[in-house]
Amino acid sequence: MSTTSALGWRPPIPRPLKRLFDSVPLLTFDANELPARAQSSTASDIPTLYVFSTEEDARKGLPSFNPKCLKWQTFLKLSRIPFNILPSTNHASPTGSLPFLLPARTSGAIEPIPSSKLYNFILSQKQQQQDEEFHPRQEAYQSLLDVPLRNSFLFTLYLDPTNSNLLDTLYIHPSSSSLWIRATLRHQLRRAAESEILKTTHSVSSGGPLKGFAHGVVHPDEIYRSAKEALEALAYELSIDNPGAEGNTGWFFGATEPGLFDAAVFAYVYLMVRFFSRPDNAEGEKESGEEETRPWLGDLVRQAGNGELVGHMNRILELTWPDLVVRDTHEHGQMEEM
Amino acid sequence: MAPVLDNYLLTPATLRSIEVHGATQTRRSLLDHVLNPIIEESAKGPTTLGELRARLTQASNKLSRFGIFHPDSIRVLGSIVNEGQPGHQPAIPELDVSISVREQSRSALRLGTDFGNAEASGYTRAIFRNIFGGAETLAIDASAGTRTRSAYNATFSTPLNGNPNVRLAVEALRSYTQKPWASHEEHLTGGNFRLGWETKAGDDHSLAYSSVWRQLTNLAVGASPAVRADAGDSLKSSVTHIFTRDRRDHTGPLRQGGYILRTVSELAGWGPLKGDVSFLKSELQLNGARPLTLPGVSVGGGFRVGILYPLGSGFSIPGRGIRPSRINDRFFLGGPTDVRGFNIGGLGPHDGQDAVGGDVFAAGGVNMLLPVPGIGPSSPFRIQLFANGGRLVAFKNKGKAKEEDVSSTLDSRTVLDGMKSAVGELVSGLPSLAAGVGLVYAHDVARFELNFSLPLVERRGEEVQKGLRVGVGIDFL
Repeated sequence: MSTTSALGWRPPIPRPLKRLFDSVPLLTFDANELPARAQSSTASDIPTLYVFSTEEDARKGLPSFNPKCLKWQTFLKLSRIPFNILPSTNHASPTGSLPFLLPARTSGAIEPIPSSKLYNFILSQKQQQQDEEFHPRQEAYQSLLDVPLRNSFLFTLYLDPTNSNLLDTLYIHPSSSSLWIRATLRHQLRRAAESEILKTTHSVSSGGPLKGFAHGVVHPDEIYRSAKEALEALAYELSIDNPGAEGNTGWFFGATEPGLFDAAVFAYVYLMVRFFSRPDNAEGEKESGEEETRPWLGDLVRQAGNGELVGHMNRILELTWPDLVVRDTHEHGQMEEM
Repeated sequence: MAPVLDNYLLTPATLRSIEVHGATQTRRSLLDHVLNPIIEESAKGPTTLGELRARLTQASNKLSRFGIFHPDSIRVLGSIVNEGQPGHQPAIPELDVSISVREQSRSALRLGTDFGNAEASGYTRAIFRNIFGGAETLAIDASAGTRTRSAYNATFSTPLNGNPNVRLAVEALRSYTQKPWASHEEHLTGGNFRLGWETKAGDDHSLAYSSVWRQLTNLAVGASPAVRADAGDSLKSSVTHIFTRDRRDHTGPLRQGGYILRTVSELAGWGPLKGDVSFLKSELQLNGARPLTLPGVSVGGGFRVGILYPLGSGFSIPGRGIRPSRINDRFFLGGPTDVRGFNIGGLGPHDGQDAVGGDVFAAGGVNMLLPVPGIGPSSPFRIQLFANGGRLVAFKNKGKAKEEDVSSTLDSRTVLDGMKSAVGELVSGLPSLAAGVGLVYAHDVARFELNFSLPLVERRGEEVQKGLRVGVGIDFL
């Protein structure tokens, strides 16, 4: 493949020179084959979604452990678009954050699709001409996801020391085996999570000339209270969208098919239930009179409303990952029937 | 004159004392290392003036190689004791030697430009010399270049045992380098310990341990999946040995005679070294030139070969757990100072526009320099005719299906088979070739070339250049 000179002002190549250029090279061989590490990631005739995941989960197509990635992964599955997933890092993304989608090799397009353009891509794949109707209340509820639920998720995973092993396993250890690099990454992630939370919560001394600096303090009680309220509100919305147990479709805003908002709620709810549920043997601790320092997010999900959120989660799982439908076995009767 | 001088040199003499003037900041022990051997030799018995002179010359060379004295300031003066005083002449004349030196400034700040291969950069350097009096040097650099967005570097070095030929250095570095041929930036943070020594034959050895955190990030929009798969962090912990034998004719920048041989061998991640990558990487480079009988005409050639062999990491079960190479460690080939006629990284496997590098390579070139008609051989300009080529081959996993994970591990049998077939592919078939003609300007700072080249043999996906290209660098193939 020839390349042109970097000098844009170059006059057109004189004819004899052009003839000379066209006559070389004299011999062209087949392309060099790619190295081993690149072989697995380059041959694909369906699009590939790059998400946070483990190698094994990615091979089996299991859910990602990151809410934003899981939202898009779920929506792609609900839209019945075939795709692969590959485990990746922020560094691989064109925007600096996951997920992003690489179209199929065979489609000819090589530009990756960041999450901001993913919705339009999916619409074009489904051959839908218009956006789904946006319910008037959707925007308000979207902010519930973006702020209180996200903050509580960020706090619990990144800043709560009881979950530091989980944080390590999911995000830190796969990056490198070096203790020094892991410590640096852990510190960077925690600072980033803290500043994200502080951007949207009010700390005692925010405002004034230092506004905008994440110098405040994170208040966990406030975060969990907001999360609980948000979950209650979402559960309430589900209940009024779906009056009556029979014949209800079970999706947000009374839609007949699950939409992007359903996928977004599912992403948070599923991950909270999966990772931040009180372990079964903790009941004994509570009875011994220990004070509960923080609520478990998984419990907050189950307790919201009449358990509509778990029902919603299971309904989505039935469509996407039927093997993972959660059958609750908690003894204290806080669960609803499917 | 000469016979008189010879007789003079054969005059027997002994050494009585050596005084050093001007080395106020320098530690006594450092000077002792250099001068004690002379004193001990002389104590063994009478010697000749010639021999004393030779030893003193050697000592003054050593002193200048420490780099802490002004090069022209070292003066050695000898005076015969009691010369001219009747009645006190000893049987064998005794010599008092006085060495005077002028120390360089303890600290200096320098701004400058640097030409490397395919890159120009500007730097600020702060140097602290002779910090503890033993010729220790601390150099702190901050630089930015056409390809290196920024780089910071601090190096502390000291001669070992007062021997300027053996130096121990500790370095810490941080750099951000763009690699547009592979659509990414590489951020490096790390440090190394280095021991360097020069043999009597004038060869240089260097043995270093380094630990570097590499972060492959800031991918371009059009980056290929192969590069995206390698994005992220990795730690390389390795031991490197570099051998250099420079027998080039250094009279004048055109270097029309002699040869240079360099080998670089790196062992990473094996055994106690740990880290995220594990391999044995070895490269050999041989360049030579020979002037012909016609003035200003010379022929030269160069040859480079290298291999990157993946090993099992740490103390993993021998024979298993071998991970294939990452783009950070693979070889790249091509460029105006490398294999001319190809873009930087233009040879070898490509995924779309990106060069992904290879694990085995061989490259060679021949060139002939002719004086420019009308200007003559005394100018630094030459006309150059060249032909060069190379082959860069990647290690492929022949055994398994293509749907294997990015991080799946291999066993040593698969690795051996894959490397054997890669080497076989290297030598089978023609290498990618280009030839051309150009103008060379050899300056002390760097060598500038303007070449018109045409590709003769290429492989699909490789990036060739047709026509004019400029090359600036120090070392060319």
